[in-house]
Amino acid sequence: MEQLDVLLKSAAPFRMAPDDFISKITGLSRRVTFNAGDVVYKIGDPARNIYIVASGSVRHSLGDASQSHNPDRTMRSGDVFGWASVLEGSRRHLATTTCLERTEVVVIDGESMINLFRKFPAIGNAVMGGFAAMIRQDFSLPKEAEHVYRIANQEIIQGEKETAVLTGFGLMMYRVSEWLKSPKPYLMMIGFTLFLGFWYLTVEVWKLPRFQDMPGLTTVVSEYLSRDPIYGMSIYTPEYYQHIWVSIRRVAIAFLLATALGVPLGLFLGWSRTFREYVFPIFELLRPIPILAWVPLAILMFSGSETPVIFLTFLASFFATALNTMLGVESIDESYTRAAACLGASRWQVFKEVIVPGSLPFVFTGLQISVGVAWFSLVAGEMVSGQYGLGYVINTSYTMVRYPTIIIGMVTLGVVGYVTSAMVRVLGDYLMQWRVREESIGGR
Amino acid sequence: MSAVLETLDDRLIVPSNAARGGAIQIDDVVKIYDPDGAAVMAVDHCTLDIPAGEICMIVGPSGCGKTTLLNAIAGFHSITSGTIRMDGEVLCSPEKPKADPGADRIVVFQNGALFPWKTNLENVAFGPLMQGKMGKKEIYEKARSMMADAGLSGTEHNYPGEVSSGLRRRVEIVRALMNEPKVLLFDEPYRALDSLTRSVMHEALLDIYYKNKVTIFFITHDLEEAIFLGHRLVIMTSRPCRPKKILEVDIPHPRDYSVLTSPRFREILEETSDAVHEEARKSFAAGEKEG
Repeated sequence: MEQLDVLLKSAAPFRMAPDDFISKITGLSRRVTFNAGDVVYKIGDPARNIYIVASGSVRHSLGDASQSHNPDRTMRSGDVFGWASVLEGSRRHLATTTCLERTEVVVIDGESMINLFRKFPAIGNAVMGGFAAMIRQDFSLPKEAEHVYRIANQEIIQGEKETAVLTGFGLMMYRVSEWLKSPKPYLMMIGFTLFLGFWYLTVEVWKLPRFQDMPGLTTVVSEYLSRDPIYGMSIYTPEYYQHIWVSIRRVAIAFLLATALGVPLGLFLGWSRTFREYVFPIFELLRPIPILAWVPLAILMFSGSETPVIFLTFLASFFATALNTMLGVESIDESYTRAAACLGASRWQVFKEVIVPGSLPFVFTGLQISVGVAWFSLVAGEMVSGQYGLGYVINTSYTMVRYPTIIIGMVTLGVVGYVTSAMVRVLGDYLMQWRVREESIGGR
Repeated sequence: MSAVLETLDDRLIVPSNAARGGAIQIDDVVKIYDPDGAAVMAVDHCTLDIPAGEICMIVGPSGCGKTTLLNAIAGFHSITSGTIRMDGEVLCSPEKPKADPGADRIVVFQNGALFPWKTNLENVAFGPLMQGKMGKKEIYEKARSMMADAGLSGTEHNYPGEVSSGLRRRVEIVRALMNEPKVLLFDEPYRALDSLTRSVMHEALLDIYYKNKVTIFFITHDLEEAIFLGHRLVIMTSRPCRPKKILEVDIPHPRDYSVLTSPRFREILEETSDAVHEEARKSFAAGEKEG
């Protein structure tokens, strides 16, 4: 390490920075020598540079206006001054600095340092945190310490809509690359390999007693990928996509209907006590009835094969959504509604500005559950009635002894179910930026 | 009580805010909670006059019923009997036991009540936006400039969850001041903060007070905080709550942290700590729940 790097590393704010980063900072620096009695800067001068004493000593006097307990300090080798250049807002020096002897200082341009930090926000914020701690402790100026420039923050503030999208995409790419660097994807691969290996060995190699009748891994894969499937369904047959499409359409209709009715019902249940007294007991009585128990009634009530299935799918989703939304309204801290009332919001405004956004986290938990149970009850419905759909495929494949097709149907359900629930989660994150950002900072 | 009123004009610091108003008269207020038929008296014939522009510190053990009093002024709870007036106008009385909440009396809550789903700027602009008094553009301009005055520039577009708790409290006070309230009601707002942040917040609050001169009704159980901030201390008895001792803090404003080490501060602290300690012990013996 070079001499300059060693000096920088000994300075309080930079202690946290890794060595290769220190040399990046020293790359921005220059050395300046002052004579005894020279004034480096005065109070009110524009603050551009950070100074680190290399040799000699400097008198650092904060103005009378400052509320520091020790306004006068003597800075020696490794001490840092000129930190006003890393504060937010208009940067003006808060102290007058006078050299007490022949003094050599290292000068770093504050703006270029912050620009460097922007490229390495994690390290940058650590160094800025070091500055804040130093200002608070060594200079006993807690107020100023609060205003040390925060990298990530400022980026968000400066970025208008355009860059916000860009950072969103950049953030995603960053997360993907971090994920690839972590052991997670490789552990996941091992998990899959073990699972598939178990299937392959038990069914096809060892042919264990209860497993021998099951469709084997290679049979299923070759059937799945075959242009001319033995049992009539693979990724090359249009039928396969027709079944998927029909199932997705049913789930989508049921889910949208359940959301459109369940969210408002939940909001009103949580919001109006009177409404709740009327409706909630009925709701609580109907909710525990298993979806399968509704099948006969659904077939009696609705004609054709399509509407009963959609009704069954809707029902399960609807209860999950409404109940979670109601819990969401109840979860809102009373002080939020009181604060809104204090600030002059009418009852309707409280509903719009507090109740709705405040319950969103629970609403989206409800919607994720809702998509899950939608698929669950869809398959139940399709097994009983209907002529298309993945549940229908699984059921008829069983009666027609097309066992590999059962597995194809199941795998497809797993993938489609996962994708739909991921879509709900992404939509939730998009609508609740405040939560995403809170979490990325580590919560309250 | 009357002795206190007579000496009001002779005080070292006469809060002058007559034009803007904000005097609170609490007259013989009683609040009885009646959960499950077991009547519990929370406030017991409490009478207290707070002149406009005064910082009145209500000190008492946790759970003594001081928050009940605050909630009655704010209009969150009803009272059982007595009258509360603001500038002579009745807020609540036996005929109308619950006051209407309004932007002339704004509460700063114990755990903070900034809306986490709105940015700091949207929070600050919330009051005027709801009241629809000014144009949107005007409101945001005013919000920005008030935030700048309070040293909050650069945090406008952050969500409350992204900034420090001390900063959040400041945003919340600015949100209240946006409405030009007559009275600010503080419900132990700094209780959850660490002592270092709290000391900074105290000075920041006084700073804001010197600029705005609103009446401040401030609940706390921290005696040092009370003496440092207040024109007057009202030490409350343990539940049911009623003023036990009222005391002028004759340390001249503007104050800063050097006050804490001044001999007069220590004297007042000694004078009052016995009374507070006695009530705290009573409350502890009664097994009062915190809050």
